[in-house]
Amino acid sequence: MRSVWKSFASVRLAVFLIILLALASVIGTLIPQGRSFEEYAARYGELAGLLVRLQLTRLYSSTWFLTLLFLFAVNTTVCTVSRLGPKLRRAFGPAPATDAASVAAMRFNGRLRLSGPPAPARDRVSKELGSRRYRVKAAAKEDGTVLLARKRRLGWFGSEAVHFGLLVILAGGIVSGLGGRRASLALLEGQTADVPHADFQVRLESFETEYYPQGGVKAWKSTVTVLEDGRDVLTEVIKVNHPLVHRGFHFYQTSYGWDWERPSLEIVVGLKDEPDSARSVSLRTGERVSVDDFGLTHLAVRRFVPDFVIGEGNRVQTRSWQPRNPAALVEAWAGEERVFAGWIFANFPDFEGSHGDDRSGLFFVLKDFQAPQYSVLQAAKDPGADLIWLGCLFVTAGLGLAFYWAPREIRVVLEDVPGGTEATLGGFASKERDIFRSEFEAVIETLRRMS
Amino acid sequence: MIESTMFTAAFVFYIFSTVVYFGSLFARRVKWAGAGLVLALAGLAFHTAALVSRTVTSGRAPFTNMYESVSFFAWATVVVFVVIDRRFRLPKIGPYVMLVVLALVALASSPLMPKDVAPLVPALQSYWLWLHVSVTLIGEAFFAVAFVTSILYLTADSEEKKAKMDAVSYRAVAIGFPLFTLGGLVFGMIWAFRAWGAYWSWDPKEVWTLITWFVFALYLHTRILMGWKGKRSAIVAIIGFLSAMFTYFGVNYLLSSLHSYL
Repeated sequence: MRSVWKSFASVRLAVFLIILLALASVIGTLIPQGRSFEEYAARYGELAGLLVRLQLTRLYSSTWFLTLLFLFAVNTTVCTVSRLGPKLRRAFGPAPATDAASVAAMRFNGRLRLSGPPAPARDRVSKELGSRRYRVKAAAKEDGTVLLARKRRLGWFGSEAVHFGLLVILAGGIVSGLGGRRASLALLEGQTADVPHADFQVRLESFETEYYPQGGVKAWKSTVTVLEDGRDVLTEVIKVNHPLVHRGFHFYQTSYGWDWERPSLEIVVGLKDEPDSARSVSLRTGERVSVDDFGLTHLAVRRFVPDFVIGEGNRVQTRSWQPRNPAALVEAWAGEERVFAGWIFANFPDFEGSHGDDRSGLFFVLKDFQAPQYSVLQAAKDPGADLIWLGCLFVTAGLGLAFYWAPREIRVVLEDVPGGTEATLGGFASKERDIFRSEFEAVIETLRRMS
Repeated sequence: MIESTMFTAAFVFYIFSTVVYFGSLFARRVKWAGAGLVLALAGLAFHTAALVSRTVTSGRAPFTNMYESVSFFAWATVVVFVVIDRRFRLPKIGPYVMLVVLALVALASSPLMPKDVAPLVPALQSYWLWLHVSVTLIGEAFFAVAFVTSILYLTADSEEKKAKMDAVSYRAVAIGFPLFTLGGLVFGMIWAFRAWGAYWSWDPKEVWTLITWFVFALYLHTRILMGWKGKRSAIVAIIGFLSAMFTYFGVNYLLSSLHSYL
């Protein structure tokens, strides 16, 4: 047991684990994570199976990576705990039984003769150190007194705070992993949906994309109402960087789109020879609308695609869900006879991709198209997040203490000698030694002047 | 317009500074190093004016794309160099730090990096942009100085110079590491939580920031607790800076990351 403890208290193990974690992390960025097996097979060929078996394709949640993190946590804990006792004594313990010779051997040292007997001399030294914000502890010894003066004592615990913070962050990660809930909600304007794992609902009031005058998206705004037991409790605008927070759930703006299933279209029909004859018809995809003019009986839209492209096998497809090249397949009928059938394009009104049976003498223009917009929100509950922020606080504070709050210590041995008191001073600072040197010298100078 | 003129002026002064610094080095005229520093400060003044001008005209933080952030990183490196130079009296590192600065400014000026002021995409509209980028890059500027002093440690011929370079490398890392941790990891996680909905997603940019952090954690532990100094420490510091630069540039150009702004 003891030897296990000892091996976990070793800095060498810490260094070894940090190197392993770093190397594993590198591998995780070189192999794309969490893709399908087909993708790996296409990319790595026969190696794909091996990669999957070694869990390299979901490396950061693999058993071996989590084991490394666990060992790292144990190592950090043991290292920190085993160094804590001596550090606590160093920072807060009583003045040690020491002698003039060992104090004089400290890195910064000095010796001087104080006038008067030991008791008032001791008070003078204590007062001087106290005025420089040192906390002074005294211990009597047979031929005099030992004073131990310390300041910035928290500085001893900088690395402990960092390590504790890291452990809290790891704990936060575990809590997030086990208790975190995440779901994607796609909502049409006006639609209400249950929030998974929660006992309230959300309704999308409206979704809007704002553009800059010079182009480019300025903001995606979802106005969302939270409902509890069917009652509206709050309405807020969700934007990127401005999630809505309710009962531990965060709602983030993640995506948006249009429901192109049944868009409302406006189609202009007219005689090619008489442009003034044009009139517009409103209809939806799949709908047949009667038209009395131009010898037609009705008009129908068979299909609509937002981003027209001719794909494999000359089939019409949509390249994306953005309205980049909206097109409608229109049919015009005169009684039982189909007089026109063809694709018309919102961006290219002069182009009629007729299927060759254009005997109508008519033109068709896709003037407008409206589809209901939907907004995709991510609903996330992350109970580990607060632990992460607490851990970050400890890490940051610890780094500040470790690097900018170096503890300082001055030891003074006072010895009764004929005609006065002999004072031997020794000083220690773990960092900022130049600043400490001048402080130490100033202390000696002040004491010398006083006697 | 004002901005690009100022930036060009800064570039020119940095070139003069580098030339004079190297002149001082090869002609063994220590006094010339003073002139090198004055020229670097003149360049810094113009560079500051360029950054301020861009901030004022665009009305947002001057680091929202590669050009802006590299320019800011170069600026921070000059500032850090001047501070360290004043504190430790190190005219010898001037030429090499200025060489790094020159490389960065040249990279920023290259046609690889578009300079037009684009409006801010929704993900970047946050005050965390200021905090996250500036603190991280200032931390990395200290790593840049540690990188130079570590290389100079490896090439130095006198023990005295080696000891000095070793000490300065450590000081630079000791300041850079807390800043990098705070700006890169802590602020990064807070912002990711607000903008992306998760404080940590194992995105390549995040992972490489963590790798860089591991390398410098290694630097500190081996040095403080295992007594590594000199050559081995210098090598770790060099790896750390290269890792930081890979996080900065390599991830964007070689790996696919959610963090695609810069």
